[in-house]
Amino acid sequence: MTELLGNLSRDRVFYLLVAPFAALTILLGIWPILLSIQVSFTASATALRPNPTYVGFANYLAVLSDSIFLASLWRTLLYTVLSVIANLAFALGFAILLDSTLLKRGNLFFRLAIFLPVITPDVAGYVVWRWLYDRSFGALNAALELLGLPAFGGLSSVDTALLSILIAELWHHAGFYMIIFLANLSIRDRALEEAAQIDGATTWQRWRYVILPQLRPALVINTVYALIQFLKTFTVVVVMTKGGPNDQTNFVSYYAYQLFDQARYGEATAMATILFAIVIGLSLTAYRIGDREPGR
Amino acid sequence: MGILRIIACATFAAAVSTLPAKAQQLTVWHDLGDNGIKWFEALSAEFAKQKPGVTVRSQSFPTDQWFGRVISALNTDTAPDLIFNNYERVIRIQNQTNKVMDLKELTGKISDKAFLSADDMRVATFKGRQIIIPIQRVQMAFGLRKSWLEKNGGKFPDTWEEVKTLAAAFRDNDPDGNGKADTFGLALQAAKPRDLIHMLDLFMFGSGLRHTLIDPEGKITIDQPAHAQVLEEFLKTYSSYKFVSPDTINHSFAEMYQVIEGGRGGMFRVGDWNVRKWDGAQVLNGDFVSGPWPKFAADRPNAVVIGGMRGVAVPENSPNKALAQEFAAFMLSKAAQQASLENIGAGVRKDLDVSKLSPRSQYFAKAEHRLVAYDFPESIHAFYPELEAAFHRKLLSGIANPPADWKAFIAETAKEMRDLATKLKG
Repeated sequence: MTELLGNLSRDRVFYLLVAPFAALTILLGIWPILLSIQVSFTASATALRPNPTYVGFANYLAVLSDSIFLASLWRTLLYTVLSVIANLAFALGFAILLDSTLLKRGNLFFRLAIFLPVITPDVAGYVVWRWLYDRSFGALNAALELLGLPAFGGLSSVDTALLSILIAELWHHAGFYMIIFLANLSIRDRALEEAAQIDGATTWQRWRYVILPQLRPALVINTVYALIQFLKTFTVVVVMTKGGPNDQTNFVSYYAYQLFDQARYGEATAMATILFAIVIGLSLTAYRIGDREPGR
Repeated sequence: MGILRIIACATFAAAVSTLPAKAQQLTVWHDLGDNGIKWFEALSAEFAKQKPGVTVRSQSFPTDQWFGRVISALNTDTAPDLIFNNYERVIRIQNQTNKVMDLKELTGKISDKAFLSADDMRVATFKGRQIIIPIQRVQMAFGLRKSWLEKNGGKFPDTWEEVKTLAAAFRDNDPDGNGKADTFGLALQAAKPRDLIHMLDLFMFGSGLRHTLIDPEGKITIDQPAHAQVLEEFLKTYSSYKFVSPDTINHSFAEMYQVIEGGRGGMFRVGDWNVRKWDGAQVLNGDFVSGPWPKFAADRPNAVVIGGMRGVAVPENSPNKALAQEFAAFMLSKAAQQASLENIGAGVRKDLDVSKLSPRSQYFAKAEHRLVAYDFPESIHAFYPELEAAFHRKLLSGIANPPADWKAFIAETAKEMRDLATKLKG
């Protein structure tokens, strides 16, 4: 105890400086999450009153027996897997291209071009994508018509809506992941590659066994970040499809939001809590797997 | 010294006498945007003539935020003096707070209110409490592009068959003359439950029917022959008839307005609040004409729909409750209603000066057409929003994958809705 007090006293300046940020984190970060979890245990009709009626796990049971929620959860997971793979593969491929000697001329232009969508306000970007996909005046179908190709169903077809928003999100996010990969590529130990080359390793072997292991930090951080990002997919749905057509893009975040609109606060926050648990669980798992030392 | 004291006292007394009576401020929260703020400024100036020193400050929030702010303020005793919004939204506030005042007694004391109909008072009352004083009827008419109509005979369509003929012409005959096939018969919306069911409501009520999905006794109405006829034609409008933009399945209000204001839709909903904007040179420049919704049966009269009632409510914990009630009553006065008509395009009185309004605004202000009001099922059935969401989901599945037999689809939908209503009631 005396030792603890001694440490506190010794580090008092540190704790003093950290205190405001810790308080802000608790107030603006943790407190709303706890409140939301609390609401998930209340009856919706009384959820926002000073003395709500607590209903135990009734909202969770209702949500888990709701076939629309289960379908939207499955859809969210599928979309997340597809998006994480597509975004990381595209970003890694583009980063490798920019890091190579193939794109020496215009390198800065391409870096800017791929990163600009990241800093473009997402709503504005998705509105433009919605127009591009529009079946009556969109540029995409106009181009396909010029080429004599069949029309693309875009956002209004149940077969293509998911793919359409995946492409729009790829455009918006891939630049961010690419920058992380590019930063990691620029600090790798090139001497190892030279040594491997001298030892007779092929280009593929150099990539597989020398460069890729060095990209592990970028892969881990990008995977975790992308998992969080796509599990929570919301804005693109609000702007482009509103969950349609026929629920094909109705992800958990948007479905919970729809329930808020029907004043079903208890079930909506139960859904949000389930999603929160999945995000935390998957992110920590991905981080643990990525953080393991090779060979262990 | 004595003279100095007298001068000082006289100066103080003079200064005090020039101060106004104790200033008081009322706060109103609404979601009407800039037009609403201007309207309340005008009301404030007018009310100050009766109540010197009293000012009214209004704050406008986006509708979603308005809900959250009002509910939390009423629940934490930090309420504004008054709230202003649509009846069904105030119902939700009352459901979540139980702190919206019953205005029956106050309304009883207002002598000049003969213009309020029984229908108006019905849509002001929820579970026996009068939760709003009706201030603005929300009228919604059937509108057409005037120049397109003139190219196609010029007769305003009266029946659904005439609407279908015109819709095909607007889609196929290049009514805007730009040489492109980029126009549609109708501009509708479908993405959210309220979007699609609201559109269906207009066709149902406008054609003389009383309930879209459920009646006050809790009976599902959609497969009754007259209702089923309207529903089938409505669903075909989105699918096999190809009268709307192919992306309509994802369209909400914003996208529907883009089709209308972008000059691509020939027939559409016209709300009384739309007219002022659409009269503008940069928008439709007055190139539209309004009328009642089409008839689906010769023996059922058609009408313009009262799709809502905006009104003022007083929270039980209003900081200036007595003055707030006085202001709420004042909002029915002729001066206040005239300001409402000029700023928002709607009111409830029929003795207002409409001469300064455009002919399109006058159509609503004079209210010379037959009016039919919504039934507001959410005020009777607490589970209605959930039922409506399920109905919407089912209709969207039909629009996305049109069935070969719509009649069977409607019968199946009716059965599903009955089962769900029974479950929700339990």
